[in-house]
Amino acid sequence: MSNRTLPRLLQTPAVIMLLIWMLIPLSLTLYFSFIRYVLNNLRRPEWTTPSFSNWRGFGNYEFVLNSKDFLFAIQNSLLIVGSILFLTVILGVLIAVMINKAFPGQGIVRVLLISPFFVMPAVNAVLWVNMILDPVLGLQGLAVAGINDLIGSLQSAPGVGWFFSLWPEVKPISFRATQTSAYAVIIMVTWQWTPFAVLIFMTSLQSEDQQQKEAAVLDGAGTFSQFRFLTLPHLGRPIAIVVMIQAIFHLSLYAEIEIVSRGNGNKNLPYLIGEFANNNIGAASATGIFAVILANIVAIFLLRMIGKTLME
Amino acid sequence: MGRIVLENVTKSFGDAQVIPPLDLTIEDGEFAVFVGPSGCGKSTLLRLIAGLEETTSGRIVIDDNDATQVPPSKRGLAMVFQSYALYPHMSVRKNIAFPLRMAKMDQAAIDTKVEAAAKILNLADYLEQKPGQLSGGQRQRVAIGRAIVREPAAFLFDEPLSNLDAALRVGMRLEISELHNRLNTTMIYVTHDQVEAMTMADKIVVLRAGNIEQVGSPLDLYHTPRNIFVAGFIGSPKMNIIDGPEAEKQGATSIGFRPEHTDVSTTEGMWKGRVGVAEHLGSDTFIHVHDTGLADMITVRITGDIAVTHGDDIYLTPQMDKLHKFDADGLRMA
Repeated sequence: MSNRTLPRLLQTPAVIMLLIWMLIPLSLTLYFSFIRYVLNNLRRPEWTTPSFSNWRGFGNYEFVLNSKDFLFAIQNSLLIVGSILFLTVILGVLIAVMINKAFPGQGIVRVLLISPFFVMPAVNAVLWVNMILDPVLGLQGLAVAGINDLIGSLQSAPGVGWFFSLWPEVKPISFRATQTSAYAVIIMVTWQWTPFAVLIFMTSLQSEDQQQKEAAVLDGAGTFSQFRFLTLPHLGRPIAIVVMIQAIFHLSLYAEIEIVSRGNGNKNLPYLIGEFANNNIGAASATGIFAVILANIVAIFLLRMIGKTLME
Repeated sequence: MGRIVLENVTKSFGDAQVIPPLDLTIEDGEFAVFVGPSGCGKSTLLRLIAGLEETTSGRIVIDDNDATQVPPSKRGLAMVFQSYALYPHMSVRKNIAFPLRMAKMDQAAIDTKVEAAAKILNLADYLEQKPGQLSGGQRQRVAIGRAIVREPAAFLFDEPLSNLDAALRVGMRLEISELHNRLNTTMIYVTHDQVEAMTMADKIVVLRAGNIEQVGSPLDLYHTPRNIFVAGFIGSPKMNIIDGPEAEKQGATSIGFRPEHTDVSTTEGMWKGRVGVAEHLGSDTFIHVHDTGLADMITVRITGDIAVTHGDDIYLTPQMDKLHKFDADGLRMA
């Protein structure tokens, strides 16, 4: 018995558990994606039980590819994920750099900044869409009404009234039904996840070498050059981590989309899976496989991009 | 040019004054070493000159211009840090070129200067590597290269050798001295190691608790220390200091004699003691002598060897012409 056998033997149960955990869902999804499998069909009751006799080949994939929402859902997934990543990383870096300096009330500010991250996604969506973004009852509605009132009163002011009469009435934006619902989702998820980015960047900034900065000061680097040539490269790895984790999370956004518009004008792949899964498990599984492929493409693409730009 | 004058300079952190009013002149082209035990304010003093710390009061004059309020980058000084402070994601070439790039010099001129500096410092083969791939001594040279290309009025070194191993330290010490001879630029060097101070300096500034205890050439400090602190700090092994009746016999509160200025005999002498540890180095022997009734331990150094072992009786006689006498305040008596 070689001296490696025992350790391997002892690892085996854990490895097998992990394999089961991963392989069973994946292979079931693959299996369902190649058969006709629906939850309810009165004319063909045999399709309601999964079985190889209902083999459909790539039929489910064809069906999904041809469904009117598929390309839109992929495009929308990328729009939402890309926008959130872009915004959270930029805001995260700026805020982290800003609060890294010592100032009175630093502790409280930090706690307040982190707190959005502890709000449940569904609660986050309900709060934003009803209390802030609602065109009538939300903060947006109140703000728009206030601005219109102000402009209205200025229009009747003597002397300058003619100038303000040229101004159009401000119209509130509805974030529920149209394509704008994707923007609502982007706004609320950015609000929720920026703290995560701030948290990661802040810890990284605290480990930044102060002597390097002093050396840069003596070398004649201004604040911006220090940020560009020292801080940003130092943040390269944490940015990669934030982007990877967030890409994984936001490709599977569901609650916010459901609550904002119930998928009207705004679907991503998980939402499409959910819709298919109301009845057509086969199509839902095929969409799931597409989602896995998309996630891998996004992951590889992002890693390459970050690796090139920041790590040099 | 690089004449640096400190006039009445003080530095306080909050209520704590770490540098009491201090005057110092460092001449152009001089190699000045600030030396003192840790926490004596020598690094703070260097950072004040560099501009990394704000001066609480007083003036810092560089080449006849008041530089007290001048930002660090405009003082024309280059600093080499203890941790080297290289930029980890940049290649050696980019590290050395960084100050020139910040000065918006054109690329061709930058390349010429970087190549020249690399040649002086034997870094030509490593220009495309990252600092992480270099050894400690090479990193140190990159840090020096980054300082050289700026052609500064003065170089500031903040304990640059303390992260290197002993053998490398000796080598780098020579290289820095060599560099000073070649460039003839003012250098200010901070260290807690009196050997570095003695071997490299034109002028040593001994500091204690922010106060300058003595300024002078290495041999000045060795032969005529101004007080007990300097006497004990300069020279290795340390000078033996004795209080009490033996000192009073010489008309002083304390007397000091260096280990190398003591005659040793196994048969007769002024003071009798017992041999403790004897360190045989071949060329020299250090003997730690106990039970003399003068001090806990007296160290003597003799050239060559002497046949004594642990526990033997031994007789010591200080060389009277090289005896240092100190008064009640610890100051040297004429």
